[in-house]
Amino acid sequence: MSVEADSDAQMMVKVAAGDRQAFAVLFDRYHASVSRFALRFVGDRERAEELTQDIFVKLYRNAKGYRPTAKFKTFLFRVASNHCLNEVRRGEYRVAHATTSETEEDGGGPELVGGEGDRPDQALAGRELERAVGEALKAMSERERAAFTMCRFEGMAYRDIAEALEASEAAVKSLIHRATLAVARKVEELQAGPVPGRSRA
Amino acid sequence: MSCPFEEDLTAYVDAELPSTRRAEVEAHLRGCAGCQGTEALLRRTLARLAELPEPVPSTATRRAVLEKVEALPPPLLERLRALLRPSVLVPAVGLAAMAGLALYATAPREPILEEADAGTLELAMNLEVVEDYDVVGMDDGEDLEVIAHLHELEVR
Repeated sequence: MSVEADSDAQMMVKVAAGDRQAFAVLFDRYHASVSRFALRFVGDRERAEELTQDIFVKLYRNAKGYRPTAKFKTFLFRVASNHCLNEVRRGEYRVAHATTSETEEDGGGPELVGGEGDRPDQALAGRELERAVGEALKAMSERERAAFTMCRFEGMAYRDIAEALEASEAAVKSLIHRATLAVARKVEELQAGPVPGRSRA
Repeated sequence: MSCPFEEDLTAYVDAELPSTRRAEVEAHLRGCAGCQGTEALLRRTLARLAELPEPVPSTATRRAVLEKVEALPPPLLERLRALLRPSVLVPAVGLAAMAGLALYATAPREPILEEADAGTLELAMNLEVVEDYDVVGMDDGEDLEVIAHLHELEVR
């Protein structure tokens, strides 16, 4: 009855026919996913915002390329990852994840995150964890970052990630393994080091 | 240095391995301390990733995106369809027809066949003969001589 009740695929068919209301519904359903992906990919709020807008505009323009037999989310993330990879390769965006704990004391901070926990110690632990993950993401290849982000933050299956990245499942398995190990080692380093109370004087 | 099973450990933890490979990895894990350590590291990390605060998307994005989409030019097909609407098509065809008539009336006439000179008409009527001459080869003196005496053959 209402467009809200339609499946993503049905909505996309309507979008392809120029239905902007259907597009708005899909935007509302996937805005959080796309902006999270862009933010993890590029590591900077403003740039992620630009990327998110561009991705949705591209989705609208390429709606006719969607086949209802395919998963909509996979199609969306193909558009998203292609756009992010192209923009980063063209040098439009530099990955700006949090770097070292010393250089991020003022201003920069964990700009990546929205919430920081209720207690100060939780907030600090969250920031440290975010920093470690950010450093690892920054150090890995763009395809590893894209695959890792889709897997860990969007919960996508390897098969769908492979389709989004136009790669084989074996290649995606390898990308995710390397990326997860890199993040794991950074997080371990964080846990092994002295977390609070850095003395400066 | 690294165990050949290590490459499969993340997929194992993610439950992305086919059942036969999964069973092999499980069997291997029971006897490989290195892989046990890596598996534990991976599981700890995934648990910690769940602690990451959730980014909050910007509320201004929706309006910006919808405005951009609204400002997009309509697709070519849509523009063509707009041109084919009767309210546009009928006057357009009428104007095109009038312009065509005007051009026809004012255009300089090409000479038509009846007005061509007599020599051209004769040549056209005897085109076969000309072509025959061309086939035997007008450059060959012997052929030319045969052609010149063809009427004698006809008399006999």
